[in-house]
Amino acid sequence: MDLSLDSELESLVTATGDWCRDNLPLEASRNRPPGIWGELEAMGWTGMTAEAMGLDHASEALVFAELGRYLAPVALLSTAVAARWAGTAGKVALAVPAAAGRVGSGQGGPVRVFDTDGAGHALGLVGGAAALAAIPADLAAEPGLDLSAPLAKLDPAPAFTPVGDGRAVLHLQLVAAAFAVGCADAARDMAADYAKVREQFERPIGWFQALKHICSDMAVRSAVARSQLCYAACALDAGEGDAAFHIASAKHLADQAAIDNSRANIQVHGGIGMTDEAYPHLCLKRAHLLAFVAPADQAIILGEAA
Amino acid sequence: MDIRYSAEEQRFREECRAWLHDNVPAEKRPLNADAALDFDKAWQRRLFDAGWAGINWPKEYGGRGLSIVQQVIWLEEYAKAHAPWIGANFVGINHGGPTLIINASEEQKAYHLPRILKGEAIWCQGFSEPGAGSDLAGIKTKARIEGDELVINGSKIWTSFAHVADWQELVLRTEEGSARHRGLSWVICDMHAPGIEIRPIRKISGQVEFAQVFYDDVRIPLENVVGGLGNGWKVAMSTLSFERGTGFIADQVKQSQEIEELIARARASGAIKDDRIAAQLAQLRAEVAALRAMTYRNISEVIRTNQPGAEASVIRLFGSELGQRLERMAMLLAGPDVLDFRYGDDTFVGDYLRGFAGTIAGGSAQIQRDIIGERVLGLPKSR
Repeated sequence: MDLSLDSELESLVTATGDWCRDNLPLEASRNRPPGIWGELEAMGWTGMTAEAMGLDHASEALVFAELGRYLAPVALLSTAVAARWAGTAGKVALAVPAAAGRVGSGQGGPVRVFDTDGAGHALGLVGGAAALAAIPADLAAEPGLDLSAPLAKLDPAPAFTPVGDGRAVLHLQLVAAAFAVGCADAARDMAADYAKVREQFERPIGWFQALKHICSDMAVRSAVARSQLCYAACALDAGEGDAAFHIASAKHLADQAAIDNSRANIQVHGGIGMTDEAYPHLCLKRAHLLAFVAPADQAIILGEAA
Repeated sequence: MDIRYSAEEQRFREECRAWLHDNVPAEKRPLNADAALDFDKAWQRRLFDAGWAGINWPKEYGGRGLSIVQQVIWLEEYAKAHAPWIGANFVGINHGGPTLIINASEEQKAYHLPRILKGEAIWCQGFSEPGAGSDLAGIKTKARIEGDELVINGSKIWTSFAHVADWQELVLRTEEGSARHRGLSWVICDMHAPGIEIRPIRKISGQVEFAQVFYDDVRIPLENVVGGLGNGWKVAMSTLSFERGTGFIADQVKQSQEIEELIARARASGAIKDDRIAAQLAQLRAEVAALRAMTYRNISEVIRTNQPGAEASVIRLFGSELGQRLERMAMLLAGPDVLDFRYGDDTFVGDYLRGFAGTIAGGSAQIQRDIIGERVLGLPKSR
C-alpha cells in the first residue's frame, strides 16, 4: 500500500505542470492558439493508458489534474477515453446529453458537443454507457457558459454506439474528476495568491481570519478530492470490485470542490472577481461544465447499484 | 501508487483477524469508572502478552518493531472486530509513549515504555490551562528549581483520566519571567505526589471523564524533564503532530462502520426515500472514503519522507467535522426517541454530545484553519 508519488511520477507531474505554465496558461484559456491541439496530441497525454504506453490510471489522473489546473481543452477527456477503449485516432469532441446530471429524466433531447474543431467523432456518457457518434465536419460552434469550450447543439441527437468495455465510463468519470480537482486547485491558489497581496485596513486581507479560513476550507476541499481521486484511480488499476463506488465518490467530491472553490475565489477577490477581465470566473464556468460530464450516480455512491 | 497490500502484509492482517476473532472479550467495557480501569488494564496486558501492543514501537522497549502500515492494519482489524476502546491507556499509548520514543533519555524510555505497553502505568495529559486553551503558549503553571527537584504550582484543565493516572505529561514554565514558547519544559509528573488535588468535571453527556488538576508545591525530580529544560514546546509539538496525523485510524474505521449502519437504518425505516436524506448519506459515504484515502496518503508520505506534513491538520479538521456530521445524522434518523436520553446511557446520543470535543480538543477547528492557511497556503500569520 503506497499512495505517495515515487520520483518518476513526481517528475512526470512536474514536467506536465511546467509545460502547461509555458504553453497553456489559464489566462489564455478562452482564446487558445489554433495549433494548440496538435501540440497537446504530440505530448502524448491522450494515449497514456494505451497498451503501447503502458502507464496506469493513477499516473494519468495526476497528469490530467495538472492539465485541468490550466483549464486545458475538454476534448482531451473524450479523446483519451475513445483512444483507449475504441481505438480511435485523432481528436474526439466531448458530448453531453440533455439529461446529464438530471434526476429522473429520461434520454432524448439535443446533445451538446464541445471542442468540435477538427473532430470527426464525439464521446460522452449517453444512456449509462460511454458512447461514440460521428459528427458533421462543418459544425458551427458558438461560445457557451465555459468560454474555453465552444459548443454546438445536435438536434436531433446523432446515433451513439456504446464502446464495448464497461470500464470506459469509469475512465471518463475518472479523468473528468481529475480535471475538476485541477480546477479546484487553480481556484484555491488564485485566492491564496490574491489574499497575500491585496491590502485593506493596511494589511494583506489573508491576515484576517475571516478570509484566511475561506482559503483554508478551499485547501481542505482540494485535499479531500485529490486523495479520493488517487485512491479511485488505484482501485481501477487494481481491478477492485468497488472501483465504481470510489470513482463516483471521487467525481462527486471533485465537482463539489471545483464549484465551491471557484465560488469562494470570486468572494475573496471581491469586486474585481465579478469582472470579465479577471480570471476567477473562468474556473467557475469550467467547474459547471465538468459537473455535467459523466456525473456521479448517487445510487452507486450509496451502494445500491453494481 | 498502488493500494494493494504485499503478501506479507496480507498474512499479517490474517494473523490480526484470527487472534481478534478468538480473543475480543464478549462483555462490554464497564461504565463504572473503577471497573472500567480494571478492565482496561487487564485487556492491555492481554494485548501485550500476545504481542499486539506497540506494533511499531522499538523492540528494546517491548514493542514489535514493525512498520506503520502494519500498525494501521492492526488498528483497522481491531475496529472491525469491535474490540474494546483502549480507555485509560489512551494517553500513554497514543501521546505519552510516542513522545518518549522521540524525545526521552534511555533511562526514561527503559522505565516507562514497557509499563505503558503492559497496562501497568496509566498516563494523563497536562497541557491546557484555564487561561491557556487555543493559546497554548500562554501556559502559567510554573516550577522553580530547588536542588535536584522541580517545585510545581498552578493548575491544568480538561485532563482526561486524571483520577486514575499514575503519570502525567505536564508542560509548564520552568524559567522565571519567560514568555510564550520559550522557557517551557515537558515533565513526567507523578500523579501520586503530595500537593496534587483533582476536581472532576461533568460533561454535557453526564459522564465524568475529565478534571481540573491543582498543584500546590508539588515536588518532582529534575531528572523527570524530557528533552531538556526549556525545550517543552518542541517536545509537546512532536506529540501534537502525531495526534493530528496517524493517531485517528481507529476512529476512521469506526466512522466507516457508522455510515454503513446509518444507511442500513435509513433503508429499514424508509427514510432513504427522502431525497434530502439519501443525498446527505451519499455525501457522508463519499467523505468517509476520502478521509481514509487522505490518511493513507499521509501515512505513505510519512514513510517516504519520514515526517508528517502540514496536511496532517487537514486530516484532523476534516475528520473531526465529518465525525460530527455523522453524529448529527444519527440524531436526525432516530427521531424523537433521542429525547429519552438520560445521564449514564451509553448510546449514540451520548456520542453526539461528547462529539463536540472533536472540534475543540487538541487544537480547535479554528486553530486548525489558521495552521492550514499559514503553513499549507503561506498566508500571513495573524498571531
